[in-house]
Amino acid sequence: MGSGLLRSTSVRLALGYAVLFILFSFTLVGFLWWRTAAYLDREVDAVILADARAVGDRLHDFGLPGAIETIKERVGHAVDEHAIYLLTDPTLTPIAGNLDAWPLEIGRRPGWHQIELAFQGKLHATRFLYAALPAGFQLLVGRDVEDRVAISRAILNDLTSAALLAILLAGAGGLLVRRAILRRVDVLNHTTTAIISGDLSSRLPTQGSSDEFDRLAQTINVMLQQIELLVDGVRHASNALAHDLRTPLAELRGRLEALQRVPAEGSPIQREIGGAVADLDRVIAIFNALLRLAEIDSGARLSGFRTVALDQILAEVVDLYGPLAEEKGVTVRLEIASDLMVSGDPFLLAQAVGNLVDNAVKYSRAGGIVRVAAASRGDDEIDITVGDQGPGIADDEKPHATLRFYRGRASRGSEGSGLGLSLVAAVARLHDGSLTLEDADPGLVARLSLAKARQNP
Amino acid sequence: MKVLLVEDNDRVAQFVRNGLREDGHTVDCATEGRDGLFLASSERYDVMVLDRLLPGDIDGLAIIESLRKTGNRTPILILSALAEIDDKIRGLRAGGDDYLTKPFAYGELAARLDALVRRSQGTAAETILQLADLRIDLPSRKVTRAGKPIQLQPREFALLAFMMRHAGQVVTRTMLLENVWDYHFDPQTNVIDVHVSKLRQKIDADFARPLLHTVRGVGYRLDADG
Repeated sequence: MGSGLLRSTSVRLALGYAVLFILFSFTLVGFLWWRTAAYLDREVDAVILADARAVGDRLHDFGLPGAIETIKERVGHAVDEHAIYLLTDPTLTPIAGNLDAWPLEIGRRPGWHQIELAFQGKLHATRFLYAALPAGFQLLVGRDVEDRVAISRAILNDLTSAALLAILLAGAGGLLVRRAILRRVDVLNHTTTAIISGDLSSRLPTQGSSDEFDRLAQTINVMLQQIELLVDGVRHASNALAHDLRTPLAELRGRLEALQRVPAEGSPIQREIGGAVADLDRVIAIFNALLRLAEIDSGARLSGFRTVALDQILAEVVDLYGPLAEEKGVTVRLEIASDLMVSGDPFLLAQAVGNLVDNAVKYSRAGGIVRVAAASRGDDEIDITVGDQGPGIADDEKPHATLRFYRGRASRGSEGSGLGLSLVAAVARLHDGSLTLEDADPGLVARLSLAKARQNP
Repeated sequence: MKVLLVEDNDRVAQFVRNGLREDGHTVDCATEGRDGLFLASSERYDVMVLDRLLPGDIDGLAIIESLRKTGNRTPILILSALAEIDDKIRGLRAGGDDYLTKPFAYGELAARLDALVRRSQGTAAETILQLADLRIDLPSRKVTRAGKPIQLQPREFALLAFMMRHAGQVVTRTMLLENVWDYHFDPQTNVIDVHVSKLRQKIDADFARPLLHTVRGVGYRLDADG
């Protein structure tokens, strides 16, 4: 589920959006905090400055006792509990104020300072103005700004929680968006699946809303229109070609047969004509096989699909090829579980399995065994396997074995058009299945995998 | 027998006509659908061979449909350059009795026409078929030759029964594949020959007079006379 969700475009979009949203809100809040903090700093500074001035003025007007008086008054009455004062003589020995000693961090540098100060038994963030007064007196006026720092820490914590919340909200939003998008995409998927399985006349539904999906659907529909035209064109051309070739081939065969009927039994000319007819029949067989392949690939046979019992099909094929194998001294074994059902074209499945069995018998030596089996694999698939103990197919040849007209090294010199496995592969494709060739050491196992028929379609 | 041939290709028509005439049949020919339909509805034929695609506005299927609508039950073989399974189904559904794709062997056509005529003469629901001293009982599936029982596998029995129904006629390998196995594809190897030779072993081997004959280049014939 997790990796599946991450692969979903809408969830990724939502997460990306969440990140952007968080960045944006942080920037906004950060800026506000920065401005607020600066304002608060200025406020504090103004108060400190005013205090310092007041002490300085008293010193100026009433001398040292006046200044001491003022400081004591302010500290004693706790006008501002955060206020800190320290007045020292030129040697930094405290004269008045609520600090016991001159803070080392400030040293002898007049001006603004922000330091951590042990104060009332705790470290506090404090801000000081250090002013050198006339006659060598040193004045330190400050404020405990610990509260402000605490606020800023709290804001930072809140921002983190807000970020987590934003991620959660974005995730939930993403799921909602995903569901909405999936609903549209599923419709597109269903229709395109129908189109893939051969129904080129299907069109994607549009809602007339001209939104992105509608525009996509419209574009795809135009594309489908084009494809349908092209496919029809090709189909028409190959029908015409088939027709145009079939008639002259029929004429040619007719002429040769007419010649054969001239009574001259046994003459060399008759033998040659017999050979020509046999050659022509091979051409016709290949021609028919090619057209059959084209017919399967066009998906036109999907109309012949129904739920078929594999045990019956396999038993009949084995029955057809059994005597051929027997004659070669090859044993055919059928191992099939009952009630294996697939949805398909029974004739094409029989032809495909027939081709596999025919090949297996062809490449078996006397005494060999051909195993024809069908079994469930997982919940959804059925494997039909046909295994022989013949020479097998080399690994480098396997990918080519199902190509049209490909003839492997082992098959050279034997009969066959090189279309047998192509047909099996085409039948597999038509059934949404696959054909794989595997080593059996010795021999070859051809595996035809098909989807199991749904019990209640 | 009397055959109507509707085929627009002169050479194909000529080669079919010559073959049928040499085999001793009477053949009427038409090259257009209109003429074909006229002949088909005005004369009595034992069997008709119709090209599926014909020039003009009446094609082979149209002829079949109008004949069947007027109650004409003459067996019809459709000859066609259209070889897709759907074309075949459409032809048979329209009322055709058999479908042969071009190019074809004359022997195949002749054998199928014989089979069609035999079928239409319909020896109704026979239960016992007999040829010389070979006798098969369909309901009990018993086969005897000269009174001696012969054990056959179910498929061998079906094969023999089909050939017995067409005794004296040539049956082609394709016809056997279609009628006994209901397969309509090229099995690549001549599997039918092996089945027939197994059957021959059982019914002919122990007897002086062979009944199952090979017709070179075409197929087989079950016949009391060599």
